[in-house]
Amino acid sequence: MASDLLSIASSGVKTARIALDVTAQNIANVSTEGYVRRSAAMQELVSVGGPDRLDVSLSGVRLERVVRNADAFRQSEVRRTGADAARADAEVAGLTAIETAVEQSGAYAATVDFEASLRQLAADPVNTSLRAAVIEDARAMAQSLNMAAAELDAAGTAMRFEAQAGVEQANVLASELARVNLRLARAADGSSDRTSLLDQRDLLLQKLSNHADVTTTIAADQTVEVRLGGASGPLMVSGGTSATLAMATAGDGMISFTLDGAAVSPTAGSLAGKAQALDKLAQARGDLDTIAADFITAMNTAQASGADLNGNAGQPLFSGTGAADIALAASDGALIATAPAGSPAGSRDTGNLDTMRGALATADTADTAGRLDGLIFDISSTVAGRRITRDALAAIADTASRALQAQAAVDLDHEAVNLVRFQQAFQASGRVMQVANDIFDTLLGIR
Amino acid sequence: MTIIGTGTAPFYERSVRGMTGLRAQAERMQSRIGTGERLARSSDDPVAAARLRTLARVDRMAQIDATNANRAAVDLSLADDALTSFAEAVMRAQTLANQAANDTLNDTQRAAIAAELSQIHGQLVDLANARDSMGHALFGGAAAGPAYELDASGNAVYIGTAASGELPLGDGQAVTRGLTGPEFLNFAVGGSSTDLLAVVRTLADGLQGADPAQAARDALGALSQGLDKVATGQTIVGARLAWLDLAAEQRLDRSELRGAEQADIGGVDFAATFARLQNTLLVLEASQSSFAKLSSLSLFARLG
Repeated sequence: MASDLLSIASSGVKTARIALDVTAQNIANVSTEGYVRRSAAMQELVSVGGPDRLDVSLSGVRLERVVRNADAFRQSEVRRTGADAARADAEVAGLTAIETAVEQSGAYAATVDFEASLRQLAADPVNTSLRAAVIEDARAMAQSLNMAAAELDAAGTAMRFEAQAGVEQANVLASELARVNLRLARAADGSSDRTSLLDQRDLLLQKLSNHADVTTTIAADQTVEVRLGGASGPLMVSGGTSATLAMATAGDGMISFTLDGAAVSPTAGSLAGKAQALDKLAQARGDLDTIAADFITAMNTAQASGADLNGNAGQPLFSGTGAADIALAASDGALIATAPAGSPAGSRDTGNLDTMRGALATADTADTAGRLDGLIFDISSTVAGRRITRDALAAIADTASRALQAQAAVDLDHEAVNLVRFQQAFQASGRVMQVANDIFDTLLGIR
Repeated sequence: MTIIGTGTAPFYERSVRGMTGLRAQAERMQSRIGTGERLARSSDDPVAAARLRTLARVDRMAQIDATNANRAAVDLSLADDALTSFAEAVMRAQTLANQAANDTLNDTQRAAIAAELSQIHGQLVDLANARDSMGHALFGGAAAGPAYELDASGNAVYIGTAASGELPLGDGQAVTRGLTGPEFLNFAVGGSSTDLLAVVRTLADGLQGADPAQAARDALGALSQGLDKVATGQTIVGARLAWLDLAAEQRLDRSELRGAEQADIGGVDFAATFARLQNTLLVLEASQSSFAKLSSLSLFARLG
């Protein structure tokens, strides 16, 4: 069978138009999230030749398929590194909130003020205004410890709220993925319907990987199987079914996750970061409580070993058992037991005040200011260290996403060139039709 | 083939990220210059922040130590003044005792001297009950009320505490707040202990007794011993004042060192920060203008 110039030209026109359509689609979706640049792959059409060996049987061109310019490896790298970066980001955000709560509550400064006013009282222990200053500074200190505890609790609540929202989003994404899987199984290979489903699938996977580390297995029909928490973790999405992620909060505010009832621990993604920050928060909160409790014990023990301004045995100055409920038990400055036990009313003996100040300065037990300093240092150095990790992970994730974008993102200049190229191809094929027509006319014109 | 290695959307994204990064950096430096502090929060430099907190704590304590030391200095000066008055009164008593020791004086004259001596005794009791800057007994130790009290027979009895207690001056140093009455008024005459107030009162009583001249001669030795004791007390007070001065100097030295360290750790190097800010702004400006140039480059604009 010989070639047909007109049909070759018409196939050229058709494919050029398809290529122009693909280019237009790329331009239209230049800033669509998750859109992967398409290109049209063409294939030469050759008919089966006749018995004559020199038979030229060319049939033009056809569209082989629409190519999605994304490779699975780069995409999985983006997911993996993105999950790590999201984890570090969430952890640093949580730790920064902890740092703010402890540092900005002013507990350290208030403790130093209390210590200072006790020292000032030593100059004139029977002076009522100095005694009142001690009481007020003690009140300020108790309140700032209350505030630090409340701020820490609020930070924990906010983190758990965000984690719960993250869990719900992950569930929505997983069920969405299951639905995409079902449609993918039915879509025809290489069709534009399928490419847009694949875009959706990859976008959903990327979003899911921001919440938790996902391990994906892509089947021959392009459906995806998702496991949570490592390659041997439980299945979250398989074919058209998705498992439900749930979060549980322990008494100390730490969180844990289950997938359809089976325990799962994500090692990356923002959920993992939040869990890590909440661990640190529980530790900081416990430390703060211990510091406050030791302070209460030390001050009240010292009070009990002395006599107040009226010559009575010293009564407890603070009540409460931790940072959240520490409160001033005595609001009268006269109740501060500055004199040793058994001293008469109005004694200027500072024996017990010295004991009290000594107790506050004892390292590791009641050196409240020193221990608060240590707590702030512990948290802030953790933040500083994690921030370095986060920056490194962010840079790695950025590189991975750049590598993917170089391949998958739409470049307008490239599309402009394609536009010109396919327009020319279209015109050229049109010209071929013209030639075929001329030949036909020439043949008809022979007389 | 890709013409430029990047897509259009990523180009805009990256430009935005780069420029916001530079802007944030510039703002951070601006706030450093504005506040004069290098650290906005502890995590900027945990070690330096911890050191700054410790320095601030020591600073706060040093302030209290300074006011405490000033108060102690005022009280010790008051004690010094009171001791000078003591010495003057005792010297006047010595003069009077010398006159009374003269056998030629008649009874009227001796009675006048005795009257003046009882006045001096009263003065001495008042002086011994002098108040410090806070209104407490200057020589009463840690007692709440006055230092001396007159008993039924008119003798001054010490009712203060045995010691005056110490006032901490920071860095483990302390100063004794003052003197107690017995510390500079009590002494022993011929093995039996007595005090200056009793000596003067005995002298005043003795001048009206059987052998006034002998009584006056007996008192002279005790008075000179008492004067010695008062002088010793004054020396002690002077030494403590000198110690306070020394401690104040040390405190000042240390606070200067602390200030230097604070500026070193937490302060902003203005010249360097400003230069860096200028540099960042320059880079920001350059990246803005290059962004404007690059983003206006579109092949579509060329294709007609």
